[in-house]
Amino acid sequence: MPQIMDKETTHMEKAQQENAASPLVAVEAPVLEVSQLQIFTRQEKQQRPLVHGVSFVIPRGETLALVGESGSGKSVTASAVLGLMSGSLGISNGEIRFRGDNVLDWPNKKRRGLRGREIGFIFQNYQESFTPFITVGKQMNETLRSHEKLTRRQAKVHALEWLEQVGLPAERVYSSYPFQLSGGQLQRAAIAGAMMLQPSLLIADEPTTALDVLSGEKVLDVLASLQKRTGCAVLLISHDLRHVVKRASTIAVMKDGHIVELDTAEHILYHCHHEYTQQLLNARPYIT
Amino acid sequence: MNGKLTAELSLPLRRSHAGRQMLHNRAMMLGMSLLGIIVLLALFGPIIVPNDPLTVQMGDRLLSPSWQYPLGTDHLGRCIFTRLVIGAQLTLGISAIVIVTVIVLGVPLGLISGYIGGRFDSIIMRLVDGMGALPEFIFAIAFAGFLGPSLPNLIFAIVLVKWIGYARVVRSVALSEREKEYVLAAKVAGCSTWTILRRHLLPQMISPVVVLAALDIGKIIMIISMLSYLGLGAQPPTPEWGAMLNDGRPYFQSAPQLMIYPGLAIMAIVIACNLLGEGLREALDVRSR
Amino acid sequence: MQPLLRVERLYKTFRKSKEQVYALKEISLQIARGECLGVVGESGSGKSTLGKVILALERPDSGEVWLDDVPLLQLKGAALREQRQHVQVVFQDPNASLNSKMPIWRSIMEPLDNFPDVMPPFLSGKRTDRIGLAAQLLELVGLPLDHLARYPHELSGGQRQRVAIARGISLNPKLLVCDEPTSSLDVSVQAQILQLLKSLKQTLGMSYLFISHDIASVQYMSDRMIVMKDGEMIDEFASSELTHQDRHIYTKLLVEAAS
Repeated sequence: MPQIMDKETTHMEKAQQENAASPLVAVEAPVLEVSQLQIFTRQEKQQRPLVHGVSFVIPRGETLALVGESGSGKSVTASAVLGLMSGSLGISNGEIRFRGDNVLDWPNKKRRGLRGREIGFIFQNYQESFTPFITVGKQMNETLRSHEKLTRRQAKVHALEWLEQVGLPAERVYSSYPFQLSGGQLQRAAIAGAMMLQPSLLIADEPTTALDVLSGEKVLDVLASLQKRTGCAVLLISHDLRHVVKRASTIAVMKDGHIVELDTAEHILYHCHHEYTQQLLNARPYIT
Repeated sequence: MNGKLTAELSLPLRRSHAGRQMLHNRAMMLGMSLLGIIVLLALFGPIIVPNDPLTVQMGDRLLSPSWQYPLGTDHLGRCIFTRLVIGAQLTLGISAIVIVTVIVLGVPLGLISGYIGGRFDSIIMRLVDGMGALPEFIFAIAFAGFLGPSLPNLIFAIVLVKWIGYARVVRSVALSEREKEYVLAAKVAGCSTWTILRRHLLPQMISPVVVLAALDIGKIIMIISMLSYLGLGAQPPTPEWGAMLNDGRPYFQSAPQLMIYPGLAIMAIVIACNLLGEGLREALDVRSR
Repeated sequence: MQPLLRVERLYKTFRKSKEQVYALKEISLQIARGECLGVVGESGSGKSTLGKVILALERPDSGEVWLDDVPLLQLKGAALREQRQHVQVVFQDPNASLNSKMPIWRSIMEPLDNFPDVMPPFLSGKRTDRIGLAAQLLELVGLPLDHLARYPHELSGGQRQRVAIARGISLNPKLLVCDEPTSSLDVSVQAQILQLLKSLKQTLGMSYLFISHDIASVQYMSDRMIVMKDGEMIDEFASSELTHQDRHIYTKLLVEAAS
């Protein structure tokens, strides 16, 4: 993020400035551009393709939902973007461009620098986002200070600010241990923890699957409002098309390693072409 | 989904884990071969041994290894090799009896204690707690000493000490399984408690009990030898390894082979059992409880 | 007409760090013959506990469950086992509810094996022909016959749930308790399982207690619905009136989140 940090500017203001500045940039590379990505798995010297040439683009401030059932390849694709694929997997073809640069050409160390700072992530299992026996606040504080030159006190102010942004009682959550919070609260704290570093891209892997319906809705609400404020792009991974169709601008439906349909959410909802998309939409009854 | 991602985060850790597993499996093969050799020796011992294990030949005392006495002779002129091989029969036989008795006793008691609970469970748990207060070996000495030195009493003492461990493992598995949906479904399907224990829970106990037993054989052999060494187990002139150690003690300075060979034999079998047990634990994916 | 099931003033509490928390608080309800009662609630609402009490798998602190004038909670031992044939269950996770070490046909036949005198009217042939009966049950839930000899891990999640359903209906129970029967399945097969359950209910004429956190599925399945929160029943209505004005505020929130 090439920009001058004014020490007096708070995180929030910085985010807003950046957001406001974006339309002025004439031609801007999309935050994430995945093209013809092919991933295979090695099993006893045999290579089996898992993802067959997947392409999609996420511009600044937009949300793309990658939807598919277990085994569709959506999580593998996400881990490839994060650069955290397991050792038995490999990329045989394609590009992953992050703000114009193909990160697959980068050395590991440089890619590691992206994670957290430029690419934030939250997981389905909210319990794993925080270390169990350290308070949420301390963990956020340390994360902040490892990325920016801040004093402990400054970092605390920022952390509290972000906890407030996700609608949590900031002071209380800051001094709580992870196990003292409910699932929904923890997931929102995890969002605060990821967004406070103001990444350009947030990868959310099934962020509401382990949560109750109502707390899941709240998590997605919070995510949407923070996205609006910071202008970050979001890659939302989900198995439930109905759940994310109102939350994303673009939907990519994956099945068996292919994107079978990629369109705006509106088109998917009302004019989808593929039979599988139809099946996912009608998987559960509608309220009448 | 997330599991995949987070698992990948801890990749270096997992790789070393996989490496360890391979090592374990190689170790397991070693343990198995070692144990196999010892068992074969014990089975065919009477055919291959060159001498009689009990015949005293005072003229041949403390001889060095020769063609007639492959490992030399002891203080009474008996062939050490012959006594070791015949002793293996005894040692393995006793541990087999102990293991079988302990499983037959411990598994059902643990099942009932864990699944049904109630007063029976409290009694078992008190026993477990009480026995856990001191090392098994101390209890074994106490029981064996109380019952008087003889082989049947030795077996009885070790069983008395050992069944508790099996009951405890089985109980903890039963406790965690009894709330699972397949057990509830069996209950709803009208299965009696007995049927649920036998048909649904017992099969779940096989892997943990097999692993525990494999790891335990080594310990049991140690206890047998130690009690015999202390004079509480096999009585002279029975060629038991621990008793042989005891016999050799006065001659340790002049004829160390009297203690070295039985010692090595005990060590080999204990290591073999442990390697096998650890390997099985990995292979069957049983976590230590 | 007499209702099939009457649940009267169930209470159950558990301790959560020194506090007494209600899993069930004064729950009373009735299910008529052939009716499907839906239970909606989030995790911790007590809806699963309610199902387990009706299945006599858990004891409440107080209250009673009457099935056709038989007080279920008073029964013990053989009498309770005898009564179990009338209330059967389909659990959430077919992976956990089928014994992994038993072939499919033995899992399906386990209830009938325990009740040798029961012969459901929708099955034909000799009662002793166990494979034949298992095959008919498998057909009823739409699975190919060659699945009989397979083991659970060789089946997909949806297929396993069909096996669990076959087992659930095998005794022709008066009431089938479905506890989140689609929640652990892939989205695309959820609809098929719901359709299967619905069509079985019509052909076999059983009553259902359908428990789920997914309010739309519950409405689809049931004639009447109750909404539970923190162990209490906070709303009760005919399923067609789910979106009416006079619903509880919490029900409205759930509806809003799901539409």
